[in-house]
Amino acid sequence: MRNLLNFLMKYSTWFVFAFYVLVSLILLFSFNTYQGAVYLTSANAVTGSVNEATSEITGYFNLRKINESLQASNAALENKVLNLTNEINHLKTLVDDSVRYAGLPPRFDYVTAAVINNSTRRPRNYFTINKGRADGIAPGMGVVDQNGVVGIVNVCGNHTSRVISVLTKDQPFSVKIKGTQFVGSLAWKENDAQSAWVEEIPRHARYRIGDTIVTSGFSTAFPEGIPVGTVMAQVKSGDSNFFTLKVHLSSDFNHLSTVRVIKDSLKPELDMLQRFDRKEE
Amino acid sequence: MDKRIIHIAVLFVTILLAQILIFNHILLFGIAAPLVLVYFIVRTPIDMGTNILLTLSFLLGLAVDICSDTPGLNALACTLTAVVKKPVFYAYVQHDDRMKGITPNILTLGLADYCKYLFTITGIFSFLVFSIEYFSFADIKEIFILTLGSTALTFLLLLGTDSLVTIRHDRRSK
Repeated sequence: MRNLLNFLMKYSTWFVFAFYVLVSLILLFSFNTYQGAVYLTSANAVTGSVNEATSEITGYFNLRKINESLQASNAALENKVLNLTNEINHLKTLVDDSVRYAGLPPRFDYVTAAVINNSTRRPRNYFTINKGRADGIAPGMGVVDQNGVVGIVNVCGNHTSRVISVLTKDQPFSVKIKGTQFVGSLAWKENDAQSAWVEEIPRHARYRIGDTIVTSGFSTAFPEGIPVGTVMAQVKSGDSNFFTLKVHLSSDFNHLSTVRVIKDSLKPELDMLQRFDRKEE
Repeated sequence: MDKRIIHIAVLFVTILLAQILIFNHILLFGIAAPLVLVYFIVRTPIDMGTNILLTLSFLLGLAVDICSDTPGLNALACTLTAVVKKPVFYAYVQHDDRMKGITPNILTLGLADYCKYLFTITGIFSFLVFSIEYFSFADIKEIFILTLGSTALTFLLLLGTDSLVTIRHDRRSK
């Protein structure tokens, strides 16, 4: 207390000076229109620039939340597009039907999940997501990120799931050249997280370097038309009736953060039919 | 009551009345306004406590402001000028025991030093008044013209007044 008093006494002149200057400035800005306006304009400019700098810094802290909300809205929009495409395809098959069309129930739904563990350097790569059986995830569901296909759900826990990455040997994905019906099989063979191979493309297929490879829609994991990559080059194939394409993968597997798991409402029915087919064989 | 306090009180009231009743209404050639209230800061004893000087200067400025409808303008200029009074004084006068407790005027400082001291303080005060009034460096040219005009007019007025007052006081004391 004594030290505080000594300090106040020692610098009393400056305190008195600051007090009178402050009172004068308050009077000046409060009761003089011109000076008040100039002060407000300058103060606004300073406040504006300070706020701008602050928001530039704090904006980075909110990017994760913003990204998650964008992913969720993107998923909802993609879901709508897929269901509308489904509906349009169905409507095309109805020719002059007098029965009133009631619409199709939506087939695909998305669940947004965060990648919590990832590997890209092994022969068989997996990553783990933070959604599981409790969120409606089941083995065999396709997983995509904002750029394209990234894997298929392999094992499910209650709140986490393991996903087989596209970067896995012996895990084929049914794909096709976009805009055509030339279907092939996507396979990853080498230790390169950016490229893979599309095998069994018919020899008569027409394509160009840079063409997009998309999912064929022949599996219940992925709807048709989800990007997988772009054609880099053609490589020789052992079978003279088919050729193999080297593909640059759309997704960056080294930086997977948020993904979406695709839920197909027809999957149980289609799986049952496939099992029935196998029994007959 | 201490003679010095009465002297300061008379100086305060006289300068206040002179400024608000006479000099507030004068603007020579549109560029020279007599800002005689700075005379109070000039003529207060050099050993007066800074806190007291700041308070009296602020109150004088505020009183002029209230009567001139310019709240804060003269109060701020007076406070800022009061705080630089001692540094300005000692810029022209050497620290000396004989200088302790003196009231700056022609007799105590000599004409040359007193003129320098008076001109500097008047110049600073005029510059502050017009800078605060214009409150924008876009008008710096006008601020300088008004500062020069007002400094010259105020300096001449105060020097003349000071000569009369000091010489009369000197004769009386002899």
